[in-house]
Amino acid sequence: MSSIQDRVADVNTDNTEEMNLVSAVNRTLHQELARDSSIRVLGYDIGPLGGVYRATEGLLDEFGNKRVIDTPLSENGIVGTAAGMAMRGERPVPEIEFMGFFYPAFGQFMYAVAKMYKRTGGEIEMPMTIRMPYGGGVKALEYHQESTESYFVHTPGVRVVCPSTPSQTKGLLAASIRSDDPVIFLEPKKIYRGMTEPVPTDEYTLSLNEARIVREGSDVTLLTWGAMVRHAKSAVADVDADVEIIDLCSLSPLDVESILESVSKTGRCVILHEARRTLGLGAELSALINEYALDALKAPIKRATGYDVHFPGHDIEDDYLPDDDRARYAIEAVMSYEF
Amino acid sequence: MSQETWAEERPPEDFYRILGPEGELQRDVPELADDELLGLYRTFVATRVLEEKMLNMQRSGEVSLVAQTLGEEATPLGGAAALQPDDWMFYTYRQTPALLHWDQSMAEIIASATGHEPETIAEQLEMGDSPMNFSPDYTPIGVNVTNAVGSAMADAFNDRETVTMVFTGDGSTSEGSFHDGMNFAGVFDVPAVIVCQNNQWAISEPSQRQTASETIAQKANAYGVPSERVDGNDIFAVYEKAREAVERARTGGGATFIECVTYRMGAHNTSDNPDRYRDDSEQRDYWKDRDPVDRFETYLRSEGILDDETDKAIHDEIDERVADAVEQVRSMSNSEPDRMFDHILHGESWHQRHQREELQRELNGKNPFIDFTGEGFDE
Ligand SMILES: Cc1ncc(C[n+]2csc(CCOP(=O)(O)OP(=O)(O)O)c2C)c(N)n1
Repeated sequence: MSSIQDRVADVNTDNTEEMNLVSAVNRTLHQELARDSSIRVLGYDIGPLGGVYRATEGLLDEFGNKRVIDTPLSENGIVGTAAGMAMRGERPVPEIEFMGFFYPAFGQFMYAVAKMYKRTGGEIEMPMTIRMPYGGGVKALEYHQESTESYFVHTPGVRVVCPSTPSQTKGLLAASIRSDDPVIFLEPKKIYRGMTEPVPTDEYTLSLNEARIVREGSDVTLLTWGAMVRHAKSAVADVDADVEIIDLCSLSPLDVESILESVSKTGRCVILHEARRTLGLGAELSALINEYALDALKAPIKRATGYDVHFPGHDIEDDYLPDDDRARYAIEAVMSYEF
Repeated sequence: MSQETWAEERPPEDFYRILGPEGELQRDVPELADDELLGLYRTFVATRVLEEKMLNMQRSGEVSLVAQTLGEEATPLGGAAALQPDDWMFYTYRQTPALLHWDQSMAEIIASATGHEPETIAEQLEMGDSPMNFSPDYTPIGVNVTNAVGSAMADAFNDRETVTMVFTGDGSTSEGSFHDGMNFAGVFDVPAVIVCQNNQWAISEPSQRQTASETIAQKANAYGVPSERVDGNDIFAVYEKAREAVERARTGGGATFIECVTYRMGAHNTSDNPDRYRDDSEQRDYWKDRDPVDRFETYLRSEGILDDETDKAIHDEIDERVADAVEQVRSMSNSEPDRMFDHILHGESWHQRHQREELQRELNGKNPFIDFTGEGFDE
């Protein structure tokens, strides 16, 4: 398993602190705000409340209300003004309370955030990181469980990043904030507090262009990200196959080399994501492998995903969401296939 | 916890008021018969008892999340009471009294919080028979304003006399949809009444952080929509101004915007803790003294319309109705997982058939992924 140390040579791991994913977000925001005065965090409920998930707790006290800005309740206003700040050399880090409430901001996202760099021939950069919790499994109301990363991935001109562990969160969020591209940073809220691990206290970044090999294996490649990584890990414990798990981390652009290399080695692939299946990211992954690694395939690729439905009410959300079992079934199916 | 909390500001009180904070009259009351007045009181009581019960159900894990109307009841109730059967109402999560006034069943209200699929609720509950047309409640805020104005446009274009009323929060007036809706309402002169239930807070954001305009009512000026600003804790004031607005809308006079000034006494909802962001006690005492239900009760008692005996009878009746409703909801079974595929599109597609079958297999402990031809699931 590739650890932080393997991937970033100069991370000092002498000092670590045990933290969960949301505290990793919080710690990174603290460090980045302290490091660079052009960074501003904005959104509603982020100040005295510290965010509905406490991701911005303590930031207002430490940095004041010009760096940590409680805004009116307008996603379009937040993303649109952040874009304007970015055009003028700032590095805004807007927060959208839930992914399902990003939609009012879609106009600004498409018109300004994603397009500005291109339409000015590279003159104007849009360094901004739009953070939002995403995903289901928390028994919330409608639009609080969305996993619609495909809308973002389908848009050229933005990076889409999604961590699955606390230490990864810290490195990827810092890298996103320092990136000169606009980044959609998806935080898997189901696992905000699910697990802790020792995270280096010093600053560090992780590459935004590299997938993470969670586990090496020789029979099947399992591609996944975010809150689903944990299901991938428990599924492989129970199958009669040596599964290689890849956490994509960056959903756009994809680390295609690592994906193809792995599938060329294993000859089989399963994709695990909680988003709806049709035109979910799995569709693209499957197409890529089909186009560039067909010769290696020993079985069709299978997608263990959510269904093409609205996220259901909470009495049956567990039936919608992929879990260990669904992942395991998909692995067994591709293992059972013979050309 | 943050050292900083928001210092609260009291909104200007130069608004329309009939019933003073002590339950004393400052103007003539609107014409309402004694049984109508008692009906309003009953709805006040019903709201408090029902919402308290739902809070308990949240604490015991039966429902995931509950928002309360506590302290704001006069605004949705006064607004709703001004409507007529066959009118339309678009609302969010903080208008329980409006629903109860128009006989929405309590079981339906509770069930909307239990996370059952809508199909399950429709099949397993006796649905109320309201003469009012309710939109479904809205989770995304602001969206209902535009929809309500569209509903009113449909009536206007068809020369119908129906009126549409929509409730929105102060925070929601920052969303684009609010402004789009108001603009269309003005341009198309529609039969809509847009009510802002200004309770001073949008989760942790106080209204002074929401807008730099002195009042929310004045936003309507920009759209050429006449506006009113009323004491939102005064049932008579809200009712009277809403009734005038409804009348104007019904007779071709166009839209009205009404800002009802009230206060959120409790948390935003059960997942919120306002101690984290608001410096509280003084404001709360101030607004508690202006409680809409106490005020109305004082008035009714001073007029001899309500006495201890009637009050007790009302409470007993409500307790029984709430207990019944809870029983109904508790007897509902969970949704069939398959229900998630219902009402996506008319007709059925390959994907739908296929994914339904996959889900079924998974539930039966069989591998859902063994179809390699798209022709079915032959093992
Ligand atoms: C488009 C959208 N953004 C964010 C949210 C999350 N949210 C739910 S209620 C709320 C505050 C609403 O405040 P207000 O309009 O004043 O109504 P109140 O809750 O005070 O009645 C927020 C931010 C949402 N539901 N929809």
